[in-house]
Formats: sequence, C-alpha cells, structure tokens
Amino acid sequence: MRQGSCLCGAVQYRVTAPIEHIGLCHCSMCRKHSGGLGLTAEIAPGGIDWTGDDNIQTYRSSDWAERGFCKRCGSSLFWRMTAPGPAQGMISLSAGTLDDLNGLPLTTEIYIDHKPDSYAVAGDTIKMTQAEVEAAYAYEAGDET
Amino acid sequence: MSEALPERSINGRCLCGAVTVTASVTNPIVRACHCDMCRRHTSSMYMSLATVPGSETFEGPVQTYRSSDWAERGFCSVCGSTLWYGTVADGERHIAAGLFENAADAPLKLEFFADMAPEGYQLAGTHRKMTSEETVKLFAPDGGS
Repeated sequence: MRQGSCLCGAVQYRVTAPIEHIGLCHCSMCRKHSGGLGLTAEIAPGGIDWTGDDNIQTYRSSDWAERGFCKRCGSSLFWRMTAPGPAQGMISLSAGTLDDLNGLPLTTEIYIDHKPDSYAVAGDTIKMTQAEVEAAYAYEAGDET
Repeated sequence: MSEALPERSINGRCLCGAVTVTASVTNPIVRACHCDMCRRHTSSMYMSLATVPGSETFEGPVQTYRSSDWAERGFCSVCGSTLWYGTVADGERHIAAGLFENAADAPLKLEFFADMAPEGYQLAGTHRKMTSEETVKLFAPDGGS
C-alpha cells in the first residue's frame, strides 16, 4: 500500500486503491498550481485515507473541479472532480507527495498542446491534446480543467 | 563570450490571479530541481526561471513556509500556487516558471539533483544534469544541501 505526505508533514495519507502508473497534465492551471509538471496518479472516489486533512485547503478552479493544497506549506495535493456523476470524488493525486514513486511509469501526457516550448518529457507516452481530452471525457466546452 | 542582451520586464500570475509577479530577465533559462523537498511541494520537480536577482516583485496574498534553516517557499494563500523558492540569507528568489506565459520563452538548460528523480519519468534533451553531489557543491560548498 502506498502512502505519502505534503512537504511539512501536516497532511498524510494512505492510498487504499492500487496505483500502477502516473500521468502528466501540461495545462497552465496545473503548471501554476504545482510549480513544476502536474504529475498525478488517478485514484477512484474514496481510495485515500487522509490524516491531518483539516490542514487541506481547497480552491475551486473550475465549475467541475477543485484543487487541494496544504495550508501550512503550500504543497499541491490533488485535483478533485466535484461535478455530479460517476467520477464525482475522483482524485488526481499529486504524485510527488508519495513516499516512493518507484515502479510507477509515466504513461500519459494530456493537454500536450499547452506544453511550453521550454522542455519535453523523454520516452514514449500517449499524448492527448485539449480537444482529445475533452472529447474523451465529454466535458462541457471550457478552456482548461 | 556572448553578447550582453538588454533587460526586459516579464509579468506573471498565480492560478487564481490574486498574486501577480513582475521580474526582469536578460536571457532566461529554466532549471528543474528533483530534490525530495521540491518533489513533494510541486508534485514532480520544481521548475524555476532565472531572473535578474532582486528584480522580482510579488503583489497579493503570499504565504511562506520555512522549509529548512536556509530556505523558504512562497505560495498563494488563496489557490495554493507555488510562487518561489528563496534562500533567506541573501534574499534571492527563484520564481516558478509556470507563472509566466510559455515559461517566459525560456529553454530548460539545467537539472539539479538529477540522480534523485524517480525512475518513472525523465526530461528529454542534452542539457546539463547535475548529480546531488555536484548540486550540493555548487550551492553549499561547506556541507549543507
């Protein structure tokens, strides 16, 4: 079972669902929030046991999602689906907060058309544009998530 | 020896827009840091922009977390966006590249603590990748990290 915490340790968690890979979002919202690459592991609703979650502050970043961070140290913790439906409560957990990321390959890059020219990730990943992501998830038309 | 480039001013903002930043750059580069602390804080690696030291001005609700004896991390207290990594002794601030459009058109040129990056992902390119030993020697020749 994988576990993790924010930088200061005020927020800790155990992931009760299996994680097999990680994904990357290049949208400007993920870049601004994280301060780096928006690297996440998708966790089904209810798949995380939090400790110290009174230290989690959320910011409603779109009509359908919110972002959580530690209000003490500012670590990015997650993107969470808030819109009603089967995915409500799904979390894209900030992968860097895991104590150990070994064994988790990066398989997908989304919003690849929003990636700055500055850098690129090595290797053979599935790359999806904003339009492809929106089509896949049938989101309402919007800029970013 | 390369020709000196004129300074230009760049403007950025956090995810929610409550914090704005202005800085001066000449020929800026992006640096990625893979240390454990940056990884936990950013979800991946901290990507900072090299700006003219002392030229950085932040306005808005910033909060800092003292992450070590020698450094602090700044973030927006409303949305949690990562703003800067700063060294307290000299007051230098290394600003998050994601706050600026297209990372201020700056190329990735350097990785710190490259040997601490998890095995699941790596950045493409032939830029310089400094090991932990090389990074520590650069910033704290007398021992700290």
